[in-house]
Amino acid sequence: MENNSKSKNRREFIQSGVRLSLALALGGVGGLALSKVIEDDWVWQIDPFECTQCGRCATDCVMSPSAVKCVHAYDLCGYCDLCGGYLKPDANALSTAAENQLCPTAAIERKFIEEPYFEYHIIEDLCIGCAKCVKGCTSFGNGSLHLQIIHDICLNCNECSIARVCPSDAIKRVPASEAYKVKGDFTNNPES
Amino acid sequence: MDSKQIIKIVSYSLGIISLVFFFWWLNANPTRDFEILEEGADNRGAGLEAQEVEIGEYFEQFATGYTELSETWPRFRGEDFDNISKSPVKLIDNFGNDSPRILWTKELGEGHSGAAIYEGLVYILDYNEEERADILRCYSLLDGKEMWVRGYNLNIKRNHGMSRTIPAITEDYILTMGPMCHVMCLDRETGDFLWGLDVAREYESEVPLWYTGQCPLIDEGKAIIATGGNALMVAVDMETGEKLWETPNPEGWKMSHSSVMPYTFGGRKMYVYSAIGALVGIASDGDDAGEILWQTTVWNHSVVAASPVCIPDGKIFMTAGYGAGGMLAELTENNGNYSIEIITKYAPREGLASEQQTPLYWNGHLFGILPKDGGPGRNQLVCVHPDNPQEMVWTSGSENRFGLGPYFIADGKMFILNDDGTLFIARPSTERYIEMDKVKVIENGHDAWAPFAIANGYLIMRDATNVVCIDLNI
Repeated sequence: MENNSKSKNRREFIQSGVRLSLALALGGVGGLALSKVIEDDWVWQIDPFECTQCGRCATDCVMSPSAVKCVHAYDLCGYCDLCGGYLKPDANALSTAAENQLCPTAAIERKFIEEPYFEYHIIEDLCIGCAKCVKGCTSFGNGSLHLQIIHDICLNCNECSIARVCPSDAIKRVPASEAYKVKGDFTNNPES
Repeated sequence: MDSKQIIKIVSYSLGIISLVFFFWWLNANPTRDFEILEEGADNRGAGLEAQEVEIGEYFEQFATGYTELSETWPRFRGEDFDNISKSPVKLIDNFGNDSPRILWTKELGEGHSGAAIYEGLVYILDYNEEERADILRCYSLLDGKEMWVRGYNLNIKRNHGMSRTIPAITEDYILTMGPMCHVMCLDRETGDFLWGLDVAREYESEVPLWYTGQCPLIDEGKAIIATGGNALMVAVDMETGEKLWETPNPEGWKMSHSSVMPYTFGGRKMYVYSAIGALVGIASDGDDAGEILWQTTVWNHSVVAASPVCIPDGKIFMTAGYGAGGMLAELTENNGNYSIEIITKYAPREGLASEQQTPLYWNGHLFGILPKDGGPGRNQLVCVHPDNPQEMVWTSGSENRFGLGPYFIADGKMFILNDDGTLFIARPSTERYIEMDKVKVIENGHDAWAPFAIANGYLIMRDATNVVCIDLNI
């Protein structure tokens, strides 16, 4: 009887141990999975209020063309006929003719809305992130045009090559859950 | 087939392929995918037709009694067109621990129109969005009591502000110019309508971008208006509204935001004006009144807000924003003939430039706030000598930057208003920037760009939507 009881206890002990191990393993895997889900990654982004529009985003990004693009905060825009971001300073005419446009790749589309308003739309595929329009808009307008790193293009390099050369340290790591630093309250950029 | 035949066939084949490739290369157009960017792609409209406006149709009196005072600030840049108050009234040079003594505040329509003051009454042009009307408002200077309003219905939309001009006042008259170039002449005391002129309709003038910025001028009983369009400038009798002369405009120069500045040089009085297209001097009197005495098309920019700074020795300084920069020219007179020579013209980062405000000429030096595209000195108050506006005598430094707001001198103190409604007091100096005090006057202020007006120690200043009267008396 005593031997039988001992043998039973040993079996129970092994069974309990196996159950505990399984539970621990399951808990560990679940915890690991959960931590993966709730953990926030970090991505690179430009603080538009720190950016000095030096133009290096266009030339120093590993992507060609750059992963940095101009975005437009429509709620800040003045919808001006004379747009400092669209037209060259002292342009011959306020028109869409190539000689008057500031953007080297014609990535800004200008549409007449109604007197006296014009709307400006960034064609992302054409934008090279040179910041010429941002400089014009910041100097003469409300600063509604600004640069952002577009995350479906960005490779999220461990050492961002434009962050290394940014003269105003405007490019910083931000939580992936807040991946964009868009001016104003509204932008038509679908990623934001 | 022997080897010779094979070589022959291969050679002919290669020759034909080369020829085909050569012709393909000749005909290939590497720019065939390029798109020609032409004007009109924005589907710009034809522009609004000038509205039928009955100038001066609306009037309402609210009060009659007010405290009459002795001093005036009768127009844009004051009595002498130099933005320097000659009043003997002593003003504070700091606010101490006290808040600024704000006598009254009024909410206005979005705009940048400054005030004119005449012996205890303040006149300010406003646009009433609810009533869809241009309104001249008359307030009592001491307590802000609204005395009367005179205006007319007009449909305009917000465009970085609406009203942006300062009335001109004399003992007898008030002259205003509204956002769509409607000139209105009133009796100063009663506000009675005397005559009106719809400049855009009558002269087919193009209303400047963001609406009219030109402040009208009353000079020796004449209203002087730079019209652009079918005439460059017109003089109108203040009493009758009758046109006295019109300056022909064969080149089609357009109206700018710049205001007409009277200037006497070489024994002739003239009106100096920076149109879109040229800088001109127009005879003010004599047989040739209204004729162009001199002109230069070297100064030709699409937006000109600042007015000419006419220096007694014949130098004229001009500046404008949107990349234009500055220009110094020198006027010479020979037997009644005038000629203008450009001394220097430069980009905004290369010398004194200003986007909106007209620089001050004080103590033989020019003072101004550089625009945002002014390079490392952007937004700094700077001092230059008119002999060389590209060499800075001093700058306020990177720690003292300002915006597009006004600056002027009163009681030997320079007052500077920042965009956000912060008022700075500095000591004018040709040696360095000397800040004495600063205080936030308008909470949540923005776009505080309208020029100052001061009389009897009471300063009128505003941001985009609020006008404030501050007591600066000691």
